[in-house]
Formats: sequence, C-alpha cells, structure tokens
Amino acid sequence: MNLVLLGINHNTAPIEVRERLAIPSTRLADATRSLLHQPGIREGLILSTCNRVELLTLQEDDETQQPQIKADLLRFLHEYFSVPPHEIQPHLYEHRDREAVRHLFRVASSLDSMVVGEPQILGQVKESYTIAREVGAVSTHLESLLQRTFTVAKKIRSETQIGSSSVSIASIAVDLAKKIFGSLAGKTVLLVGAGKMSELAARHLIQQGAASILVVNRTQSRAEKIASTFAGPAVHTEAIPFDDLYDQTPRADIVITSTGAPQKIFERSHGQLFLHARRNRPMFFIDIAVPRDVDPRVNEVEGCFVYDIDDLQQVAAANLADRSREAAAAENIVSREVDKYQERIQSRDAVPAIKALQQHAEDLRQAELARSQSKLADLTSEQREAVEALTRSLTAKLLHPQLTALRESTRPKDSE
Amino acid sequence: MSLLWLKVAVVLYGIAALAVLPAALYDRPRWRHIAIPATIAAVLFHFVSLAEMLNAAHHRLPVDTHETQTLLGLLLAISFLLIYWRYRTLSLGIFLLPICFLLGLVPAFHPSQETSAFPMIQTGWIFLHVALLLAAYAALLLSLLASLLYLVQERRLKQKSSMLPSLPPLETADQIGLKALLFGLPCMTAGLLIGSLIAQATVGPTYFRDPKILLAFAMWLVYIAMIYIRRHSGLRGRRAVYLSSFVFLVVLAVWAANEFSSVHRFTAP
Repeated sequence: MNLVLLGINHNTAPIEVRERLAIPSTRLADATRSLLHQPGIREGLILSTCNRVELLTLQEDDETQQPQIKADLLRFLHEYFSVPPHEIQPHLYEHRDREAVRHLFRVASSLDSMVVGEPQILGQVKESYTIAREVGAVSTHLESLLQRTFTVAKKIRSETQIGSSSVSIASIAVDLAKKIFGSLAGKTVLLVGAGKMSELAARHLIQQGAASILVVNRTQSRAEKIASTFAGPAVHTEAIPFDDLYDQTPRADIVITSTGAPQKIFERSHGQLFLHARRNRPMFFIDIAVPRDVDPRVNEVEGCFVYDIDDLQQVAAANLADRSREAAAAENIVSREVDKYQERIQSRDAVPAIKALQQHAEDLRQAELARSQSKLADLTSEQREAVEALTRSLTAKLLHPQLTALRESTRPKDSE
Repeated sequence: MSLLWLKVAVVLYGIAALAVLPAALYDRPRWRHIAIPATIAAVLFHFVSLAEMLNAAHHRLPVDTHETQTLLGLLLAISFLLIYWRYRTLSLGIFLLPICFLLGLVPAFHPSQETSAFPMIQTGWIFLHVALLLAAYAALLLSLLASLLYLVQERRLKQKSSMLPSLPPLETADQIGLKALLFGLPCMTAGLLIGSLIAQATVGPTYFRDPKILLAFAMWLVYIAMIYIRRHSGLRGRRAVYLSSFVFLVVLAVWAANEFSSVHRFTAP
C-alpha cells in the first residue's frame, strides 16, 4: 500500500488559489465519496480548512502506477473544482509514506499552522475523519494512522507548552486581566470610544465572566448602539454620557480605550483619583488608540496597569517566540512517533510474508511425508510421532535464519 | 520511631520544596504532581511523628523549642495545602515548603534534651494557648508571603515583562493575605486570653509586668491596627509588605523574648 498526501496550504498557495479549492463542510462527504471513486484509491480523507486543502489517500501497491497517482489526484481536483491543473500544480506539495505520516502528525499537532499552536486544527482533522468514516472512506490502514495522529497531537499538547500562551491582542488582554483580577466573573468593563479590536476584547472579557459593559462615546446614540450589541441575559450594559466619563470610570475594573482623540484622555492625576475612589482596588487600562488615550505615567500609579497597543504586540511577539521554542520540542516528539508508527506498520506488513513462508514449508513437509508413506508403513505409532517431530524440527531450524532476516528487515536501521 | 517518621517527613518536604519551583514558576504540571502528593505524605508522617513524640514524652503539648518548631512547620504545611485547595496556587509553596523543611530538619536530626518549665504541662488549656498562638504566627507569615507575591506580580505587570512566571493573580494574593490575617486575629486573641488566665491563676499579677508578656500584648494591638488599616484603606502592594514586615518583626521579637523572660520560657533555665 502507498500512502500519498497531496495538498496546498498557506505557505505554498495564495488565498486566491486556496479559496477556489476550499470545500465547505456540507460538501465534504460528497467530495470524499468522489475521491474514493478515483482509480486505485482504497481509502481516502480530505482536510479542508481556510489555510489548507489536503487529500490523504491510500493507494494500491502497484509500482508501475506510481507516477500516475499524482496525475490522477490532480485530475480529481481539476474535475471537482473546475480549476485547471496548471493553476494548481505550482502550489502543490506531495508527501509519500513516511513523509506523509510526518506531515499528518505535524498538521494535527498545529506545527504546520499559520499560528503555531492554535487549537482548532485538531478539531478540523477529527471532523474530516468522522465524515470520511461515515462515507466508508476510512477503514483499517487510515483508521490506525488517524487514531495514532490524534494520540500524537494530544501528547504534544500535554507534554509541551505549545498552546499555552495567547498570541492574539484580544486574548492577551484577557490573560493580563486574569493576572490582575484572577476570575473575571462580575467585573465591570468600560469601553471608551469604538473600534473593532476594543469590541472584540470586550467580547472576550464577557466570555470569561465580565458582568457589566459601560460604553462612553462622544456621540451618545453611538454609545447606546454599541452597548446594545453586548446586551445579554448575564450582561448589564449601559451607555454613559461623555461628560460623566471621569465620574463613572472608577466603577470599571477594566478600561478599554480606542478613541481618535488627539490628546490624552486619562492623565496620571486621573489614575490617582480613580484609585482613591476605588480604595486601591486595581484598575487595568487597555489603550488600543493611536495616538494613545492614556498617559503612560498612569502606569506609575500603584494599582493602575496600563498596556498600550505596542505593549500588547510585544507580549504577542514574545508568546509567539515561546511557541517556536516549544515547537522544537514538539518536532522531536513527532520524529519519535513517526519512527514508532513506521516500525509498527512494517512489522505488520511482514506478518503475511512470514505466515506464507511457514505455510509453504509445512506444505513441503507434508508432501514429502506423503511421498514416503509406503516406506514408513511398518513404523509403530511412536516411531511415526518421532518422524513427525523430526521433520517439524528440521523445517523450523531451516526456516529460522530466513524468518529472522525477514523480521530484522522490517526494523528501522538505527534500532539494529 | 517518632524521629524516623519526622526524618521521612523532612525528606518529603525537601522533595516537595524542589518540585514546587518548576511547578509554580513555569507551570509544569508534571512537577505539581510530585509537589502536592509529597506535601500530603509529609504532613501525614509529620503528624504521626509529632503524636508519637508527644506521647513518648508523656505530655500532649509541644513544650520544648524543637517540638514547637515542629508544630509550626506542620501548621504551615497544612495551610499551604489548604491554600492550594482553595485558590489553586502553588506559589506560596516556594517559601513555605523550604520553611517546613528547615523547621523539621534540626528536630529530626538533632533532637533536643531540654526539659519543660511548665508546671501545668498536662492541661489542655496550655495546649490551646500554644497551638492558637502558633496558628496566629503561621497566619501572619502567610500574610507576609502573600503580600510579597503581590508585590512581585505587580512589579512584573508594571514592567510588562513577557516572561511572567506563574504567580497568583493580584486579587488572589491580596485575598490570601487578608484572610490569613482575619484568621490569625481570633487565634491570637484567644491564645493570649487563655495564657493570661492561666498566668493569673498560677503566677499572679507579677506575670503581667514581664517585658515578654507586655510585648505580646503590644503585638496584639499592632496586629489589630494592621487589619484595620488594610481593611479600611484597601492597603496593597509595597505599603502592605512594609506593614506586614513590621508586624512580623514584632512577632519575632516576642518569640525571641522567650529567651530573656523570667516567667515565660519554653525550657527550664
């Protein structure tokens, strides 16, 4: 059997190509069925995400057909998506057998993702597997490979810190808020100004338990509109007139600013007043505005913590660097697991050959005994048993070197 | 036999003290799985050892310095486990577990030959007096350590250090500090009250003119003042550390005064 993986991803193909080959999850079952009907394909799986489209196939073991495999898969892509082969081919990568296993392990472990360590990819691989299994495209070989893939991905998550640190601005803001407040349950968030990033950060904070969203905008109607977008059964929302900003700010544990104001809105003296009003309970300012809304000297006030967009981006960069370090450890795990998997597969492949050899020897033994039947007719039953034992022992001893060599040949070189 | 169990407990405290470093600072779950079971086992062995030690000496309360140290170590280890159970933070173990290790080390490997100076050694009241005051000292130490952790975490957040170790959140550290103090106050009050009643009954009014005893009451006043200030001004961070450190120094002075007191000593002079 040949394992062949053909695909494009964010490294090899621009979005214009990827979007033409993307398969929505509703059509994935149909696409997998079509793939399975291609000549020579025994098992198959399609992984389609916003960053990659990959075809994993198990093909008949026919060496003369090998050059044809890629052409067949290209034709499938061409027919299914109506994209000419010459537009796909420059972006296509192909991995076979051991390298295909390695690639699959890396993809599921998020080592091949655009943001290394992101957790969604494992779920996407599992979804593809479930669909392929439902349409009968995954059975013995791919089943065992995919189960191993999920185990490896989980192992990497638990043994490395690859996914432990946040890399998006909104999730970093949440992480920092948790370092200050612990639980965010019941906390009050004040949004000053409007902006996609600040609203995204506020949504992350609500997901983590923030209970009140206060919105301040120079235009009251705009503030009310933004506040209404956060309304929910567990969330109290309130639009506050801009004139009340400084009176109301001490109510907030977390302040997210993203106004277009040319001057600072919050000065150091404001920080001191707020802290006094809050009896020194800490405050977290997330300043996403450029130019900045919060004077950096507010950070000097004991209990006030100010992070501007550069600070958040620096944390993101440092976390990405951490992930890269962890990725090196994860790559080692992948290499070890690929070796183990290959060893297991090769041992499994050797079993039919060993059985066939043993059966052939047994057939020869029985045939020789049958040929000598007339000459052995006078033997007593004990003598017959002795001859049986002798011939069995002889064939076993004659086969021993061949069977040992066969078993050894399936082991990886470095374990010899 | 009691010393054997104490030695085992000390070794386990040592293992836990080492394992808690990567577990708390780098959030490594594998090390946490060593630190917590090792501490639980150490506490069990420590308890058995203390019970055997007191039973063998035919009294039910720690009377010499080593026994008192051992009880204090046990209380600190239990408080570490309680804080871990309640707040899921291991960071206090960075300080508490080495302290438990050191408090057990000398009694385990160099047992004292001191004799008791208490005439009413068999009474449960003295046990309560000692245990409650030790609990108050342990609570104060916890509060100081929590304030220190608050300070370190606050500095790191202000410096925007990307390498933030896994310390407890500021509010958690603050809560641990304040709750420890609030737990320590009734312990200290009851401990001093029981001690005063016993002293009044056995020694008489002269007991209360001893500098050690006067210092102990001053410590109680300072302790109350600290709680008042922390609760009513929301004192946190640097100033909370200064205040806790000052009260802790007072406690150390009260502890050390045992050596100079003529009426309140652990051992016979």
